[in-house]
Amino acid sequence: GKVPASSILASAPSDKNLEAWRELGCRTTHCNLEVLQESTLVILATKPHVLPGVLQEIRPAVGPHHVIVSLVAGITLQTLQRLLPSGTKVLRLMPNLPCVVQAGAMVFARGSGAGDEEATLLKNLLSSCGLCEEVPESYINIHTGLSGSGVAYVYLFAEALAEGAVKMGMPGGLASRIAAQTLLGAAKMMLETGEHPAKLRGDICTPGGTTIYALHQLEKGALRATVMNAVEAATNRARSMAED
Amino acid sequence: HKITASSPDTDLPTVSGLRKMGVNFTVSNKDTVKNSDVLFLAVKPPIIPFILEEVGPDIEARHIVVSCAAGVTISSIEKKLSTFCPTPKVIRCMTNTPVIVREGATVYATGTHADVEDGKLLEQLMASVGFCTEVEEDLIDAVTGLSGSGPAYAFTALDALADGGVKMGLPRRLALRLGAQALLGAAKMLLESEQHPGQLKDNVCSPGGATIHALHFLESGGFRSLLINAVEASCIRTRELQHLADQEKISPAAIKKTLLDKVKLESPSVSLASASRVSLFNNKHPSSKKN
Repeated sequence: GKVPASSILASAPSDKNLEAWRELGCRTTHCNLEVLQESTLVILATKPHVLPGVLQEIRPAVGPHHVIVSLVAGITLQTLQRLLPSGTKVLRLMPNLPCVVQAGAMVFARGSGAGDEEATLLKNLLSSCGLCEEVPESYINIHTGLSGSGVAYVYLFAEALAEGAVKMGMPGGLASRIAAQTLLGAAKMMLETGEHPAKLRGDICTPGGTTIYALHQLEKGALRATVMNAVEAATNRARSMAED
Repeated sequence: HKITASSPDTDLPTVSGLRKMGVNFTVSNKDTVKNSDVLFLAVKPPIIPFILEEVGPDIEARHIVVSCAAGVTISSIEKKLSTFCPTPKVIRCMTNTPVIVREGATVYATGTHADVEDGKLLEQLMASVGFCTEVEEDLIDAVTGLSGSGPAYAFTALDALADGGVKMGLPRRLALRLGAQALLGAAKMLLESEQHPGQLKDNVCSPGGATIHALHFLESGGFRSLLINAVEASCIRTRELQHLADQEKISPAAIKKTLLDKVKLESPSVSLASASRVSLFNNKHPSSKKN
């Protein structure tokens, strides 16, 4: 949203994914080096095992003016800096899927060569895709567990909500749409009021009413602990994969 | 003192305790009623009907009859007294054991003929031993489940917390002392804060720290649902007991004997909830303008 499409150059070995970029009005190429020559801000979005090879390939063309942003899961700033010329401005970014609908949650960490200017540049660019915050690198794996994978937890919860409604007699399509809107609305309230979720939850619970009855069921099922377990498992997995 | 207490059985430790406090003591319930304006019925629920029979004739318009008996409804008391007095003032209350240390939680509901001032008078009296507020009578069972039984949940928690401390190396006495202080402090923080308990909890949990690790264990064990279950169970049981009491009919002959038996056998405590003797308290509130 902040940069005209014609200023964006996307590079990939095959045309498989490039069509989507062309449709947006971006230019495309099969030559990674061309990207380095044409652009200041370079975003690396390869699979982890491919990245070292790509870095070797582009290293000769990387200069002090470049800002390299890696989206690659599990590759640390230390590794990135090792494989690029020393002093290169490197940042590491972890987005999540809803960036595609401009409702993403992104965190980034800066390498030793990157300064305030680069951080501000990235933050400004990405805020058009959702929430974007700078963090210490150690939070990136936690972000994976919370929000990267977290999106899937929400899908699971939405599916379960809808199934409950179907069980009680509502058609599935309608139930699904309402489930999604419920999550959206609740999230919006949290973000806009800034109130603690526990307080927002309490506000909905009329004494002896439907909500508190339902919440009791959730507590009986130890939902909270299960969710905590999920975030922990994903975070730990991200950490151990990064070490590989 | 302005307080009169009565009990047919004078052997009870509570009796000597009351005497030491300087309370006027008598064995005649009727005397207590005559000398008092506010009457606290501190007996077990089954005994209530018989006390009301006994003192009913002496109840006058000025009397405020306060019952703390679990499960005994205002309407049942009013019904009993109305044979003697056309407009009996009845207030029902539910308190809890920490009144002993002036940190009780008391609620009350006013009967048909009790005025706003009567309620306020009771509120002032009970506020001297803790928190006191008026509620609808139909909430009293829920209050029983929460703050009536609540101290028991807390004692259980404290016992277990102390065990945890002992397991990790603390001497038992210290563990108990620290556990109790932790709960006391937390409760005080909550009462004095505008913040939601969830927020207060967050404030204690530094990222990746000890507390959040511990809380995860609590959540895994369904800690919250256990507490919800407990309050629910206590409330439901209170309703059951009330229902049973409504249905029970004891013959007059058996009553007196039961009364005396109960009075002799049960060990009394200062707690109103388990008071075992017939005693009626009177307190002429100094600021009251009533005659």
